[in-house]
Amino acid sequence: MSDQEETLARELRHRATSLFGRSLHLRTVDTGSCAACESEIRLLAAPHYDLHRLGFFFTPTPRHADLLLVTGPAVRASDVALRKAYEATPDPKVVVATGACALGGVFSEDMLVHGAVEEVVPVDVRIPGCPPSPLALLQGLLVAVGRLEAKVATMSFRLDEAAS
Amino acid sequence: MALWLLRGLRRRIVTTGYPARPDPSATLLPTPPAFDPRRLTPELADRLARLCPSGALRRDGDVLLLDVGACTACGRCIQAAGGAARPSGVFELAATDPEQLHKRIPIQGATP
Repeated sequence: MSDQEETLARELRHRATSLFGRSLHLRTVDTGSCAACESEIRLLAAPHYDLHRLGFFFTPTPRHADLLLVTGPAVRASDVALRKAYEATPDPKVVVATGACALGGVFSEDMLVHGAVEEVVPVDVRIPGCPPSPLALLQGLLVAVGRLEAKVATMSFRLDEAAS
Repeated sequence: MALWLLRGLRRRIVTTGYPARPDPSATLLPTPPAFDPRRLTPELADRLARLCPSGALRRDGDVLLLDVGACTACGRCIQAAGGAARPSGVFELAATDPEQLHKRIPIQGATP
């Protein structure tokens, strides 16, 4: 990537972040998930996590959504639904792949599933976990709108370095 | 009765302070493993890679590859590794780039 492209990309990211400074509507798309992820997503609206205090709201239609929360291993049967939801979401949009299935962990590609959401639509933020806890989802949503840094890049998952 | 409800009734606030303050229940969450490279032998690495039900662990020469995105935090590797693995205790795992989720853990005494 050239310097100019990098500057453009940075400006675009900044613009998207400032656009998402207002409250943000999210739409969940299930692509064959076992519903554990949905159960955790539902808990986000419960009093203990209360994602509305952070300016996130669920919306029943992708046309009103800024962010798609995609769960499941992208079964081929839901291809059309996922692509339609993606196309119906107005720009700028953020796609968040949620859970180990959506990230390509649990199912490998075969005649029934793609194995990862990335194979169908471009993914911006990945939230690992099986299922990701509501706290992990909150952090992922805040990373998606640029209000928190993605911490995982700096972690090594080595005990000798974690101790120091 | 849920403890958070009791606490909420006492303080009149049930909502977590996250992300401004750490949430006390975060320590109870299942988390991906962290490995001790000094105790990770080639045999153990192979065994863990075979054991992992979601294919998050893979051996590549002298490193053990941990795909945090694929890890379901089932804890089988922690149980099998003795002291060589522990829960990392990290739940804030959201990543913007898939490469951020791929971790390389060196294996003791392995030849590449």
